[in-house]
Amino acid sequence: MEPILYIENLRKIYGTASNRTKALNGISFQVMPGEFLGIMGSSGSGKSTLLNCIATVIQPSEGSIVIEGERLNSLSGKALAKYRGEKIGYLFQNFELLDNLTGKENILLPTSLHKVTEKQSLARLNQLAEYLEIEDVLDKFPNQMSGGQQQRVAAARALILHPGIVLADEPTGALDSKNAKNIMEKLSGLNRDEQATILMVTHDSNAASYCKRIMFIQDGVIFHELLRGDESQDDFYKRILKVMAQLGGGSSNVL
Amino acid sequence: MFYELILKNSKRSRKENGLFFSSLIISIVAFYIILSISNQDVMIFLKKMESDAVDKLFMLVPVFYVMTLGILFFLIYFACKYQLERRRHEFGIYLMLGMKRSRLFTLLLAEDLAGSIFALLIGLPVAVLLSEIISLVTAKTVGMGIIGHRFSVSLSGVIFTVAGFLLIKLPAFLILSAKISRQEIGALLADSTQNSNKSLSVAVYILAASAGLILLAAAYILAIGGLAWKNDKMMFFTMLSGLTGTILLFYGMRIFIEMLIKTGKSNKKLRIFNFRQIQENVVRQSASMAISSILILAALCCFGAGIGIAGKNTAVRTNNLDYTFCVSGNVLLDKKSDANEKLKYMDKILEENNLDEYFSALLPLRTGHIRTTDEFENVFIMDSVMTALEKMPQSTDRDVLLNNLSYADYPYLISLSDYNGLLEAAGKPAITLHADEAAVFRSTEAADSVRNEILNEILLTHPRTQLDGSTLYLTGEVQTGEIVTDMAITFDFALILPDEQFMYYTQGEYDIYLNAVLNEDLRNSKALMNVYMDINSKLDALNLKEMSLEYESYLQNMGRQLFYSVAASFITSYLAVIFLVVANTVMGVQFLMNQRKTGRRYKTLVHLGAEYETLCRSARKQINWFIGLPVAVAAAGSIFGVKALFSGILTMSAKANQGEMLIISAAMILFLIVVEYIYMTVIKRSSDKYLLTLMEPQREE
Repeated sequence: MEPILYIENLRKIYGTASNRTKALNGISFQVMPGEFLGIMGSSGSGKSTLLNCIATVIQPSEGSIVIEGERLNSLSGKALAKYRGEKIGYLFQNFELLDNLTGKENILLPTSLHKVTEKQSLARLNQLAEYLEIEDVLDKFPNQMSGGQQQRVAAARALILHPGIVLADEPTGALDSKNAKNIMEKLSGLNRDEQATILMVTHDSNAASYCKRIMFIQDGVIFHELLRGDESQDDFYKRILKVMAQLGGGSSNVL
Repeated sequence: MFYELILKNSKRSRKENGLFFSSLIISIVAFYIILSISNQDVMIFLKKMESDAVDKLFMLVPVFYVMTLGILFFLIYFACKYQLERRRHEFGIYLMLGMKRSRLFTLLLAEDLAGSIFALLIGLPVAVLLSEIISLVTAKTVGMGIIGHRFSVSLSGVIFTVAGFLLIKLPAFLILSAKISRQEIGALLADSTQNSNKSLSVAVYILAASAGLILLAAAYILAIGGLAWKNDKMMFFTMLSGLTGTILLFYGMRIFIEMLIKTGKSNKKLRIFNFRQIQENVVRQSASMAISSILILAALCCFGAGIGIAGKNTAVRTNNLDYTFCVSGNVLLDKKSDANEKLKYMDKILEENNLDEYFSALLPLRTGHIRTTDEFENVFIMDSVMTALEKMPQSTDRDVLLNNLSYADYPYLISLSDYNGLLEAAGKPAITLHADEAAVFRSTEAADSVRNEILNEILLTHPRTQLDGSTLYLTGEVQTGEIVTDMAITFDFALILPDEQFMYYTQGEYDIYLNAVLNEDLRNSKALMNVYMDINSKLDALNLKEMSLEYESYLQNMGRQLFYSVAASFITSYLAVIFLVVANTVMGVQFLMNQRKTGRRYKTLVHLGAEYETLCRSARKQINWFIGLPVAVAAAGSIFGVKALFSGILTMSAKANQGEMLIISAAMILFLIVVEYIYMTVIKRSSDKYLLTLMEPQREE
């Protein structure tokens, strides 16, 4: 099977010659279709830079990103916007729903940016709304919804165009534990039932335990990798905590 | 360090917010222009001739000054608010870093002062230059010529401009900066998208919109029907009704936009997003949109009224007489002397001083009293006319005419050949009279056309009257042509008699006026006013008083007309421009302010795959709507507004025909389109610029 996302030797350097910060310092990995990949790391480790590079919000200094056989470096302008809309779905920490649009209008926003027929998009909307249990809030404005509902609406918006890959940037960051659990269950459910490919950046070991594979990033390089395999979520969670302890509080912290 | 920060910040403000800075400059220019009105060439010139009227206009200057102050305060307040609003985060940081609130306040104040000084440094020279250009252009267009122009700066104008500018700028700024520096640091640091979607039930908005429409309709009906102009109370009521109508209409407008969102196809690019944005703007800014709309309407009406009044007063010249000379009294000439000698005397003076070369024709006009009797009352009896008049349907005009004619029992007489001479010079056919016939003459200043029409109807019957016992038939139409250049003589009712009868009834004792017509070359010269002024100064140098000679020139007449048209067009266009500028700047600033507040939404759209061009298009569409709505309401209103103006202010002028109104409306709308296009382009540019900054990712943690 061809990987859906192929990243090779990705570097991103901020600043000028005298004051350079290597946010990404040569990262390579692949994501297979239907995978649920987590990326963990402390603040400033480069995980957000990585996500932003894939989302084409920032341009890498070196290296290549290939999605579904297409090199991102070669895209520009229109093609880039098309890519952003159709190949990826983006889930934000703060949901980023437009507060003057209703839930339904928010979800359909990508379809209005990328010509999709109304019939198609409505069918998809109903399917997602049912699965994400947001049918009641479709006609409400974001400030009339709970945080969890908002994130689920945002998830529906990210998935409405059947993107090749969903990029989730700390999707549980702004939620309480109950709502966090709910959205993670929904995401892993979508991954399981619809074979949605998900790449999630998170701090939260709990949320990460829903992933099938986790990469740990430190100082711009991949530092460790965990595969869940057949073990239970609970066991996987414990393993994550161990790595996190090494990462954050372990030997590396004692300089 | 503190001073450096002040200068740097104020420089950055100017660079980043051109709209704000240009509104400051516009205020300065507006102040100076109104204050320096007395320095305008045309005004200096008119002051010599129509000093009373000009003084009255100058007395109005303080009123306009205060009015400008009020309107511009509105502008500056909004522009300032936008300016400070966009820097909230920065202020929060200053406070976080331990800056005292009083220090922040001082910083803002000092920055503002630096900005104001800079605005004055640019604005004042621009204002002086513009004022000079206006002066030259008006002088040229009215035919005064520009040779005598002297560059002048009104010192008091400059002082009051600075004072006025600071007077509105500082309070606006104090209010706003006090508000800002009193806020919590957290509130300053947070992106302020407080979204109070408190919406009332749909019925409320529908009710508001329909009540608004009804009130607006009522206001226009009152104004066009003429009821509003009856008294102050009605006028106030009409204005209030129009004002609340507009505000309510804009308040209820959200429901129309909601309807637009719900209907129509949703798949077009960002259609729903655009309308939701527009709706939000309408909801948040309905009051200032309404006020902007009213200001634009006021501007259009000012503009329309200006054209109307100016058009009325620059009416086509009815006579072609340029000068009238007459000998005052009989001081110099021996009492018995023939009136013809007066004529010779005048001819001689003109000839001796080489003045006759200016004129292509010298046309005498003989006019005198009835001398065949010693009576001064009931010498002329026209009972037949009076009875015919009484039989006519009752009207105010008829009654006035009855009253006027009852005094016409001892009329002045005019000699037919002289009158025909004037008619010929004006290119009109001569009139013929039999020995027992007379024509009626009434000066345009004394009689109005409606009453003359009534009189004409009676004259058609060839009424029989008695002049000192002899039968005289009145014939022809009422003659209203000019008999002198300006106002040397005016007759409410005079009789034109054949020369023989004229000589008989006046017994050879009459006054003689000498009308002069300029020769072709001078006539066609572009600076006709200067020609008059040249001749006048030559005449004045002759010390005519000692020679008992008096004269009047068409310049007086021209000056009067000029004054009204210049004053009217100057003031109305001044107000129109101010209103338009304020309305547009406020709308522009509000739009950009809101766009900045909701900047995150555009960022989200970028993440969802919107191209820069798509965002720009979307914002441009929103701008079209946001500015278009108040403009459209105002434009629709202006159609009624002009009609109302015609039925109110301009009733005196001849019944305004449809064509004239159409031309005025078309000119107004064209003017509006040009101004709005310029403004929209400026706003769209700054919106594009802002959106471009959103395309670059920022690190958010």
